[in-house]
Amino acid sequence: MTRANSEPLTPERVRLATFSSSRLGRRGLDEAEVRAFCEFVSDGLGRLLNDNNMLQEEVHRLRGRLLEGKGNPGVQPEDAHVQAVYVLSKAQQTADRYVADAQEYSRELAEDAHLRRDEILREAKVRASMILEEAHASASRAASAVPDTRDPLPGSERQELQAEIAYLRTFSDVCRTHLRAYLESLTRSIEEWERAEHSGALTARDSVSRSSQHVLCLNGRPGTIDRVSSTPAIDRRVQASPSASAAALAQTRDAP
Amino acid sequence: MDEQRLRESFARVAAYGDDVPLFFYSHLFLGHPELRGMFPVSMAGQRDRLLNALGRISADVSNHDALVPFLRGLGRDHRKFGTLAEHYPAVGASLLATLAHFNGTAWNEDVARDWTEAYTVIAQVMTEAAGEDEKQNPPWWGATVIGRERRTMDVAVLRVAPDLPLSYVPGQSVAVECEARPRQWRFYSMANAPRRDGTIDFHVRVIDGGAVSSALARSVGVGARLRLGPPVGTLRLDMSSRRGVVLAAGSTGLAPLKAIIEQAAGLGDPPRTHLVFGVRTAADLYDLVALEKMAAQWQWLTVTPAVSDEPEYRGETGTVADVIGRRVPLSDQDAYICGSSAMVAATANRLKSLGMPQSHIYVEDFGWSDS
Repeated sequence: MTRANSEPLTPERVRLATFSSSRLGRRGLDEAEVRAFCEFVSDGLGRLLNDNNMLQEEVHRLRGRLLEGKGNPGVQPEDAHVQAVYVLSKAQQTADRYVADAQEYSRELAEDAHLRRDEILREAKVRASMILEEAHASASRAASAVPDTRDPLPGSERQELQAEIAYLRTFSDVCRTHLRAYLESLTRSIEEWERAEHSGALTARDSVSRSSQHVLCLNGRPGTIDRVSSTPAIDRRVQASPSASAAALAQTRDAP
Repeated sequence: MDEQRLRESFARVAAYGDDVPLFFYSHLFLGHPELRGMFPVSMAGQRDRLLNALGRISADVSNHDALVPFLRGLGRDHRKFGTLAEHYPAVGASLLATLAHFNGTAWNEDVARDWTEAYTVIAQVMTEAAGEDEKQNPPWWGATVIGRERRTMDVAVLRVAPDLPLSYVPGQSVAVECEARPRQWRFYSMANAPRRDGTIDFHVRVIDGGAVSSALARSVGVGARLRLGPPVGTLRLDMSSRRGVVLAAGSTGLAPLKAIIEQAAGLGDPPRTHLVFGVRTAADLYDLVALEKMAAQWQWLTVTPAVSDEPEYRGETGTVADVIGRRVPLSDQDAYICGSSAMVAATANRLKSLGMPQSHIYVEDFGWSDS
C-alpha cells in the first residue's frame, strides 16, 4: 500500500488504493475482497464528508443571521420599548382590576349590611312602640288605682301627683325590666357573634368584621327617653330615630 | 400649527379609547419611574381624566378664550399633586410617543410639529398659572383633624385645623386627601363660614365601597393629618339679589348650604331664608339639633326637615322637591340646591315647573348617586 499520510483521506484515495502482491511462499488476501471493502469504505466516507459540509454551511448561515439581527440598530430597541410599555400596561390593568374588584366587594357588603340594618331597625321600631304601649297601659292602671285619700292638704293636686308618681314608677319599672331582658340577650348574641368570628374562616376576615361593625355599631345618637310626661305621647325621637337602644332591642329577636 | 390637522390626528387616537392613556402612563413611568409615586395604585379614574382633558384641549384648540382658563385651572390644580415645572418635558415626550404610536402610518413630521407646538403652549400656560399661584398659596394645605363626631351610621362630621389660613367663600369645597388613602382626592364642602380660629367642618357621608369616604368617616381619628387642595366651586350666595332664599339640601349636601346660612347671619340684613333638609329616614337628620338651634336664634331662618322613606315620620314626608312644592312660597326667591345628582336634577326641575326662572336656581352636584 502506498503511503502518503500528509494527503487528506478522501473517498477517492480509499477507492484507488493499490496494494503490492505478497512475496512468493507467503499467503495473501483475496484481492477482489479487499477491493470491494475499499469501495464500501469510500462510499461511507463520501457521505460523511457531504453531511459535514452541509452542517458547516448551516452553522455559517445561522451565525450570519444572528449577526445580521444585532447589526441593525434602531428598529429592535424601539420594538423592545413598546413591548415593555405593553407589559407595564398589562400589569397596571391587573392592579386596576384587583382594586375595582375589592371595591365592588366592599360595596356589596356595605349594601347588604344596610339592608339588614334597615330590617333590624324596622323590627326594633315595632318592638319599641310595643314596649312603650305596654308600659303606658300598666302605668295608667297603676295611676287610676291610687286611692282617693282624704288629705286636708291640696286634695286633688296631691292625688294627681300621686297618680303621676305611680304612673312614672310603673312606666319605668316596665321599661327597665324589658330593657334588661333585651340587654342580656343582646350580650349573648354579641358573645355568639364573637365566637363565630373567631372560628370563622380567615378569608375575608377584614370585610366580615367591617360588615359586622356596620350592624353592631351602637355609638350613634342614643335614642334615650328624655322625659316621660304623664300624657303618654311617645317621645318623637324614640319613635323616629330608634338608633342605639332600639337596634339593641331588635337584635334580641335573633338571639337564642 | 395646523389646528384642523391636529384635531384629525387626535380623533384617530381617541378611537382607541382607554388604550391611549394606558400607553401614555406606562411610557411615562418606564422612562421616569420616580413619577409613579405621584399617582394612586389604581389608575382607572386617572386615565379617564387624562383622555377627557386631551379631548377638551383638542376640541377647544381654536377657542383660546375657553382653553386658557381651563389650562390655567389645570396648572394650579396640579400643584397639589406635587407637579413641578420640570415634570412637563417628560410628560410632553410621552404624549408625543403615544400620539405617534396610535397614529401609526398617519404620523409624520408635520403632525409631530403641530403637537410639539401645541404641547409647548399648554405646558407654558399651565406652569405660568402654577407659578403665579405659588406666590400666594401653598401647593396644598396641611391640616390636623381636631374633632370627629359620628352622627349616624353613615355620616361623620370632621373638624380640622389647617396649618396655614385657608380663605374661601361659603359654598365652596376643597379636595381632601388622607394618609390612609394616599393620592386619592375627594371633594368636600366647607360646612361653616370662615371662623376666626380658621377651623373647618366637613360632613362626610360614607359611600358604599367608597375608599376615601369610609376612611374619613371611620378610621381617620383626632390628630390625623389631611391635605386640602385649593377651594373651588361656584355655588355661592348672590349678594346682589334682594330676593328671599330657598336652600334645598339632600343629606350631606347640607354642608355648603349651612356655610351659606352662617354667612347670611353675618350680614346686616339677612335674607328671609328657608332651608329644606332632605334625608331618607329621621335617623339620618344628622345635623338637625344644630339647625334647630340656628332657626331658634335667627328669626329670618326657617328649617324644615323632609323625610322620604319613612311614612310614619311625624314631620314633612317626601322628597325635598315634594316638600318645597308643598311648604315653601316660591315667588321672588333664589334657590340653592346641593345633594346627589338625582336629587339636584329632580329639585331643579320641580322648581322650574313651579315657575322659578332658571337664572334664580344655583346648584352644586355632589356627583354621588342615591343608593
